[in-house]
Amino acid sequence: MFDHRSLLRKYLLRIGMLFVELFSCLNGSLFADESIEFERHVRPILEQNCYGCHAKGEKSGNIALDEFDGDVKQSQVLWHKVLHQLRSKSMPPLGEEGPTEEQRTLAMSWIKSEVFRHDSKRPDPGIVTVRRLNRIEYRNSIRDLLGVDYDTNSNFPSDDTGYGFDNIADVLTISPLLLEKYISAAKEIVSKAVPVVSGVAPHRTLPGGKFSKEIIADLLNNPDATTVPKDEPVGNRFGRPTQGPPKEDPAKLTMSYKVPSIGKLTTNVLIAGKYKVIVNMVAAEQYVDNVFDYNRCKMVFRFDDELLVEREFVRQGNESMSMHFDMDLQAGDHDLVFEVTPLTPEQAQVRYLRVIVENVKLVGPIGDAHLVPPPNYDRYFPRPVPRSSSERRAYAAELLRQFATNAYRRPVEDEAVERLVSLAESVYGTGKETFESGVSQAMTAILASPRFLFREEATIRDSDGTHPWLDDYSIACRLSYFLWSTMPDQELFQLAARGELRENLDKQVDRMINDPRSSAFFQNFVGQWLQSREVETVSIDAFAVARRESEARPVSDPEADRKRARRFELRNKTESELTDAEKLEKAELDKLANFRPGGFGRPFGPAFDDKIKRAMRAETEMLFQHILKNNLPLTQLIDANYTFLNEDLAKFYDIPKLETIQGNEMRLVSLPEGSLRGGILTQGTFLAVTSNPNRTSPVKRGLFILENVLGSPVSAPPPNIPSLEDAAVKKDGKKQSLRETLAIHRENAVCSSCHNKMDPLGLAFENFNAIGRFREKEFGEAVDVAGTLSSGETFARVADLKKALVTNHQQEIYYCMADKMMTYALGRGLDFRDNYALDEIVQRIEQSGGKARALLDGVVHSTQFLKRRNADDVADTSGSK
Amino acid sequence: MRRSQIAMRRRQFLQGIGVCMALPALESLQSAKLFAVDSPALATTASGAPLRTAFVYFPNGAIPSAWWPSAGGDSDAKAYAMSQTLKPLESHRNSIQVLKGLDNLSANGGPDGGGDHARGNGTFLTGVRLKKSASDIQAGVSIDQIIAKSIGEKTRFASLELTCDSKRQTSGCDSGYSCAYQYNISWSSATTPMSPESNPRSVFERLFGAGNPGDRNEGLARRRNEQKSILDFVLEDARSMQRRLAVTDRDKLAQYLDGIREIEKRIEKAERFGAATDPAIETPAGVPDTYEKYVQLTYDLLFLAFQTDSTRVASLLLAHDGSNRSFDHIGIVEGHHDLTHHQNKADQIKKVEEIDLWYVRMFSGFLDKLAGAQDMDGKSLLHNSMIVYGSGNADGNRHTHSDLPIVLAGNAGGTLTPGRFVDHRSKPLTNLYLSMAERMGVHDLNRFGDSTERLSNL
Repeated sequence: MFDHRSLLRKYLLRIGMLFVELFSCLNGSLFADESIEFERHVRPILEQNCYGCHAKGEKSGNIALDEFDGDVKQSQVLWHKVLHQLRSKSMPPLGEEGPTEEQRTLAMSWIKSEVFRHDSKRPDPGIVTVRRLNRIEYRNSIRDLLGVDYDTNSNFPSDDTGYGFDNIADVLTISPLLLEKYISAAKEIVSKAVPVVSGVAPHRTLPGGKFSKEIIADLLNNPDATTVPKDEPVGNRFGRPTQGPPKEDPAKLTMSYKVPSIGKLTTNVLIAGKYKVIVNMVAAEQYVDNVFDYNRCKMVFRFDDELLVEREFVRQGNESMSMHFDMDLQAGDHDLVFEVTPLTPEQAQVRYLRVIVENVKLVGPIGDAHLVPPPNYDRYFPRPVPRSSSERRAYAAELLRQFATNAYRRPVEDEAVERLVSLAESVYGTGKETFESGVSQAMTAILASPRFLFREEATIRDSDGTHPWLDDYSIACRLSYFLWSTMPDQELFQLAARGELRENLDKQVDRMINDPRSSAFFQNFVGQWLQSREVETVSIDAFAVARRESEARPVSDPEADRKRARRFELRNKTESELTDAEKLEKAELDKLANFRPGGFGRPFGPAFDDKIKRAMRAETEMLFQHILKNNLPLTQLIDANYTFLNEDLAKFYDIPKLETIQGNEMRLVSLPEGSLRGGILTQGTFLAVTSNPNRTSPVKRGLFILENVLGSPVSAPPPNIPSLEDAAVKKDGKKQSLRETLAIHRENAVCSSCHNKMDPLGLAFENFNAIGRFREKEFGEAVDVAGTLSSGETFARVADLKKALVTNHQQEIYYCMADKMMTYALGRGLDFRDNYALDEIVQRIEQSGGKARALLDGVVHSTQFLKRRNADDVADTSGSK
Repeated sequence: MRRSQIAMRRRQFLQGIGVCMALPALESLQSAKLFAVDSPALATTASGAPLRTAFVYFPNGAIPSAWWPSAGGDSDAKAYAMSQTLKPLESHRNSIQVLKGLDNLSANGGPDGGGDHARGNGTFLTGVRLKKSASDIQAGVSIDQIIAKSIGEKTRFASLELTCDSKRQTSGCDSGYSCAYQYNISWSSATTPMSPESNPRSVFERLFGAGNPGDRNEGLARRRNEQKSILDFVLEDARSMQRRLAVTDRDKLAQYLDGIREIEKRIEKAERFGAATDPAIETPAGVPDTYEKYVQLTYDLLFLAFQTDSTRVASLLLAHDGSNRSFDHIGIVEGHHDLTHHQNKADQIKKVEEIDLWYVRMFSGFLDKLAGAQDMDGKSLLHNSMIVYGSGNADGNRHTHSDLPIVLAGNAGGTLTPGRFVDHRSKPLTNLYLSMAERMGVHDLNRFGDSTERLSNL
């Protein structure tokens, strides 16, 4: 019998791809000589350590190991689970004796070699289904291709997600509706970017901000009119203060409904002729929940002495307007005047109603003699359009070949160019449309083609019998969509054209990570893995959260309950059913209901608003970015003595000694000795996205850590059970604390196997409320954060927990990170066949001392990333999920 | 010298739409009749008017005690007392049936465990168990799509799918189920959800064309011609690509090709139908700023689609099951889903009841419009419709899928007997769908999902 320890040492010796290959061969021969047998070697280990709960009728977690009948092909998923438990040592549970190191290694080796049948001479890259661009990738690719920012978020249906990411090929489906949208998007984008005529009437934009604004004091004999009206905006129905007056955009002319004012501009017209005058404006308001604003004003617009607009405005709900006028203009100076007259000086100002003139456009002189090339003409049509039809065809072919090559991200064949030219010709050849419209119609077709919408990959077949390499164009795309969420740039494209990309991989990854476009990687990969992207849309009632910390635990109030019931009863009647007395009563009760106890005037702390949420999101992304760019230990993601803050976030977190940070810019900040912050688990993103609208959820926090940090998700709760945290038992009219409630439920065996893992992790963060602020008390009682992990470590504070995670659970964290990054990079979920690649990446990380670049390099150099499964191999999906 | 053109008014869309619109549906109805090639009974009432059906889904079930009317044990009651939650429907009492005893057992957990929201949502219109997977989607074809496949030729659009969920979650949907299950109720095949449209502006422009009233049809025609030449090109690209791709990838391209064929068919159909009815109203600006306006506007668009006979089948997912939206506008700051797990606490139950009531109130407003609009046969649109209003969870607290809260509104042109509260005593919900499909003219459908027979006594 061979020595498994020496085998393990050999594993550890592997360095880099080359060595991996080499040693795998050695391993293979070892196994060939003396293979591990299930009955002889593995079964006794399982019997001794696992059968107690997973055999002979026992089926904990729906796993029965004695059902294994030797058919490894049918049980790969099962053994994948077993491997995971062995690797993370999370089975058997705490308090029961587990296998020795030697036994563990032996069992794991058996699973890898005999069950997964990983062939180290011919590693399997797996199947990556052809990927459709998701909304982000589409938007970025269009930006790089045509310089147009197309808002895919509001124009395309959301992409479905799988494995926590929105770039998973299998779920990126294409419905008829979406295809229809792609076609209309292509049209809209091309029409925005590509001119369809060679000349247009000149046009000049006079920005609103260029108008000089003058406030007229005595227009209504109102002495206050020159100052901002005194009426303070009222709070909304929850008693929250509303925002102050909106900031004026200096590029626009802003005129309040409440202030009589005039905006003037004199502009010079050089050539007399017909002009079009276009006024673009908005009747703006600042939304306040449930309180209206009854102000009105009159606005007039004069062009010289001609009155073009005279209109009364009420609250228009941010209606934007574009008004067009045809005018004959003489050469010389012209005066443009906007004038606003308030009509309701007595009305309170609630929503800051105002007229905002964005700009006035002068288009003209109109007529063939005055045409100028449209903006961007040179970019798409570098030469004048030739006259003869054969020259036109050649010019169209040249333009369309270039565009299609860029859009398809690989050279296009002549046949496709030919079809594009025919399409263009079918449009301009009729003589009714311009050459340019023909070409832009063909460009529209290119953007609607599956060759743009999908990322088609090609391979280079090697003679060595392994799975084929991807060609350089495909690798360029994999890299660029992985690290930039967009198409390859010129440099990648040129390297691919020369076939030199694969040999320059590391250099390119360096360059790409340091390019500003890599922000897409941090936003999309980190944003989804750590859910920091979600923080911006998370809905938390910061008010309800604050109340939990400021008050004693609510006791039942029969009078309030009665009123509430009565109000509900009245609200269910229709207007006609209510008596006058009931109407009054209802109004009273409504008022009471809207002003919640303690709601008015109580100090509320910094707002959990969009600014804070953006800062939180940036904090998480910047931490990962910092670690990756500086090649720091990955564990700093969990435990670091620094973070990224701006003034608002520093105040929000209330970190001692950091109150002095000023300004909006996020920056690297060293945390004071003993600070609880540092690492993603004490950041606002994690703390908020795992919370309920009105309180923390230790269960969700625990689950998040298991799923996204330790990589050992627990199975879903059985059906038809209430959420644990809500099942608080009443005692003396008081609710139980979450900790008490959770403790009761952990006594239940069905719940305990998972909640023993989740709860201590989640409860450790009870010092942080649902919006991520520090707290010591809830409902007047001190929160208790101490606990014991299911793996046995005890901790008193969150700092101890972080230490325990990064020292005792380092390898699990590496595996989890490798799994997540690989999933994102490949756009597919991983299964047991990919296990060897994760092993390799984790070894690479460990050998580098836990450095971040080893993770990224490991992914990029993996067989999965650089190769495709041989098309001739039967699609082997047996045993997969 | 000058003329002021219309300033784009983006706001007051559809205010009092039912009143201000002259009904232009009649002409197109007649032309539609000309093109009806097969059985004249397809989606048509006995009087020759269009018969329409819609499926409206509200999330997270309803508090049963407040939802169900009482009829003193009578399983088929005319003189029942309207329940607290259904009170807003009192004025439509004679046009609705409250259906009790309908179950969707394929939404039960069974071996799949958690995920009742994904299942409640994803099986509501299919009655087929979902494959529990984050990426390998396997659902069933939904009833609206079955009907649309049969009758889609009669109208400009075979079906319409709407939602008032403008933002979809990007990760971590229900218990290992793909988000696709939770954000779609309508499925054209087991693997292809019909992604509902959430932007009212896009819905409007798809139905009637872009631009100002009067200009929309010309725009639609031009768009069709351009689309045809583009389609020819991309079709060839797709075919050449399919030849190069691996077997697994061909499925993806097949989706694309199906889409192309679908659009081609639509263009052909649009050409057959001639000009669309252009509602003389402004195009809505986009997603309104409050949920209440959003829901109202979406119902308005559905109404408009029916009124102009643009389609006869529609589905509306008001919010996905499991939705944790808060209802600040009625003073409820907690999330809807979280509240539904109320632990029998009176205050939480009340809040859920208020949310349930609010949803019913919005639905009642939709019925008001349908009831107020006259169809070509002189009856109301509501009379010539069948609208299911329901949820895939019964009791959101316990995640049950039996005794689902279901209201069937409309008379289906006189073939239904509304004005009743009927307990069907544990029949599959899909039995109801079979009966509805039959009324829509889909006679050859004898089984659907877990159906056992057509639901009688409707």
